[in-house]
Amino acid sequence: MQHVVITGLGPVSSIGIGIAAFSEALAGGRSGISPITSFDSSGFPHIHAGEVRNFRPETILRHLDPSAAGRSTLFAAAAARLAVEDAMLDLEALPSDEVGVVIGTTSGEPTIVEGMTAQLLAHGFGSVPGEMFRQSTADRLSHGVSEELGISGASITLGNACTASNAALGYAYDRLRNGDATVMVAGGADSVCRLMHAGFHRLGALAKDECSPFDLRRSGLLTAEGGSVLVLETLAHARARGAKPYAEVLGYAANCDAANIVSPDVASIARCMRTAHRNTSVTPSEIDYICAHGTGTRTNDLVEVRAIRDVFGDDMPPISSIKSMLGHTMGAASGFGAIASALAIANGILPPTINFTSSDPALGSIDPVANVSRRARVRIAQNNGFAFGGNNTILILGACV
Amino acid sequence: MTRLVVTGAGVLSPAGIGLQSLAAQISGHRGVPRSRSLDAGALCTEGPPDAIFNAVADFDVRQFLGRKGTAALDRQSALAVVACGQALEDSGLCVNDDNRDRIGVALGTSWGSLKSISDFVKESLLADRPYLVTPTHFPNTVLNCAAGQSAIRYGLRGINATVAGGRIAFLNALEYAANALRCGHADSMLTGAAEELTAHTAWAIHASRQEAKPTIVGEAAASFVIESFDAASACSRHVDIEVLSVSTGFCPGSRKPERVSACLDGCIRGVLKEAELGARDVTCVATCEAAGADDLHHGIESRAVAAVFGQTQVERIAIGSIFGECLAATGALQMGVMLALHRAHPRRDGQFSVMTGITRDGGYGAAVLRGWCRRGPNRP
Repeated sequence: MQHVVITGLGPVSSIGIGIAAFSEALAGGRSGISPITSFDSSGFPHIHAGEVRNFRPETILRHLDPSAAGRSTLFAAAAARLAVEDAMLDLEALPSDEVGVVIGTTSGEPTIVEGMTAQLLAHGFGSVPGEMFRQSTADRLSHGVSEELGISGASITLGNACTASNAALGYAYDRLRNGDATVMVAGGADSVCRLMHAGFHRLGALAKDECSPFDLRRSGLLTAEGGSVLVLETLAHARARGAKPYAEVLGYAANCDAANIVSPDVASIARCMRTAHRNTSVTPSEIDYICAHGTGTRTNDLVEVRAIRDVFGDDMPPISSIKSMLGHTMGAASGFGAIASALAIANGILPPTINFTSSDPALGSIDPVANVSRRARVRIAQNNGFAFGGNNTILILGACV
Repeated sequence: MTRLVVTGAGVLSPAGIGLQSLAAQISGHRGVPRSRSLDAGALCTEGPPDAIFNAVADFDVRQFLGRKGTAALDRQSALAVVACGQALEDSGLCVNDDNRDRIGVALGTSWGSLKSISDFVKESLLADRPYLVTPTHFPNTVLNCAAGQSAIRYGLRGINATVAGGRIAFLNALEYAANALRCGHADSMLTGAAEELTAHTAWAIHASRQEAKPTIVGEAAASFVIESFDAASACSRHVDIEVLSVSTGFCPGSRKPERVSACLDGCIRGVLKEAELGARDVTCVATCEAAGADDLHHGIESRAVAAVFGQTQVERIAIGSIFGECLAATGALQMGVMLALHRAHPRRDGQFSVMTGITRDGGYGAAVLRGWCRRGPNRP
């Protein structure tokens, strides 16, 4: 079995594009929330989201034509390009069948389907251009990354909703561990859209203007967007080319609640954590930091803390939610969590849960790294991801020895 | 390497529901069977002009699953859930508290349900207030709805994945499931794909075609129980198909069709090599495109298959010719047809087949299968 390490980080987010800007914003506890501009939000009582402003894909992409792809695909491709640059990796030096791409998403290209819907409402199906249909399928995300990087190996898009990038990273880890690939470019992407905004509002899960996970007064999530892509490679390959890894991927576990299509499940999440710990031979006491799913809804945060307590007892490590800064980037969310976890390990800084004002007695005693980032030695980090469909994926990262 | 086998199948196709209708559709025809055109009726009232619709006729989810829990299911999820249930039943794999954590799901798709997503957006655009959407329809807009609903219906708590890959989505899902089994994430994987027939998919297919012939729009769902040979043997489950190898990829610069052909050619040779077979060992090749290579892919797949199998006598089954364009369900139908043929014809016992697929954007994939009927002496 090969050891698998993370050597490149490519965040395209509302708080920063590229690893330098992103890590500074994360450590600084910056908010990426702003009034919605990507669709007409009039009529919605809540009009804030985590949009990536100043995203100019043409300044990042080298091969993919920005006019030939949807917003989510452009996020994925730009994040992948930034991750490969950060890894200082020459992909052309590798045989094509040793490199693969796996990208997770919740909605694929929702803004294209929304445009298509507006078009067909106005002028009928026959008026929708073929190119619009073509750009609307979810497989465009991984294919856009492969096109941008010129990779002709494996290229799959996982639609595991809001745990999709953890699932993508897990699958990439498996392929590397087994020797099926030498380098995997993996992560997730999604776009702010009317669809998600309306759906979460209707479920009563949408916050007004700030997301405050674990707080007594938390009122919900904020929809958000971006691309979160990481370069994973075998330790042997990283060493041979002199790359310095951020962290090692120790393993993961994935399961399904098989209970309710939208509500998370304490016992199922706890089972997933235990399996992840068993798969990686890690005990709860060895975990120094949990990057929470932490959406900021009353239910999620309560369920998540209960599951953590069930597995860790009262001796819980710091648990912070970067969704307090980014909002809920859906299919990209656990990829950002993985980037934040890798940075926590590499830089020794825990990202904060911002907008925290008062503890929720229902959650018991937890350390959410309130409002301000903190220096800490992180040897092992756990990155949580839960989703509609009852999909849970827990990824475990460790410091490179 | 762990040997992986199929021990049960559930197929809903334009030929009907179940494997027998599939076998009946294929058998009795020499060469490429002709498709049975069905009136899709209410499914697709706003379809493109001159299109032919091959629907799963008279499909009513309540006949299979009852009323409870089915009201909010869209057609895509309903087809997938029923196919998964039939696969479990066909396999004899009984889900219980001892094994439910080790049974996973991997389903292929194109958009999830394009109709559900578009209708939800439409509701928001037309409502008095944009958030007055139907809450129970919201989960249908997410890509993994069918996989989640299948897990809920049968209590499958193992690894659960949705793979978006258009026409190669089933091959992607098969590759994903093989990885999950070999890495020990699950003991059994329900592996399948579904595509519903709606005006949305019909127009998507129609709009991407270039020739004047009528668009033939299909729909289907198929699911298979896949597990290790050892696990299947230990439980005395029938081995219908062994999956010897599977691989998928993407070809950059796919606007040049010859490049995609070359990628698929290499992929087919790769899966044959992994299965330790030569082109001459293969009896049957199931492609996803229509016969005559006149569809939107302009013969990319045929060219690759001809390059690999050119001089050998192989039976060709062109799924697109039989059922029309079934997008993500195409690969699942390819395996369904192979399995149905093996089950119906003992003379096919032990024969090797290859299934191939491409997408118009440059995705490609192939798998090597070997099958047996459920009676007779030639067991694996």
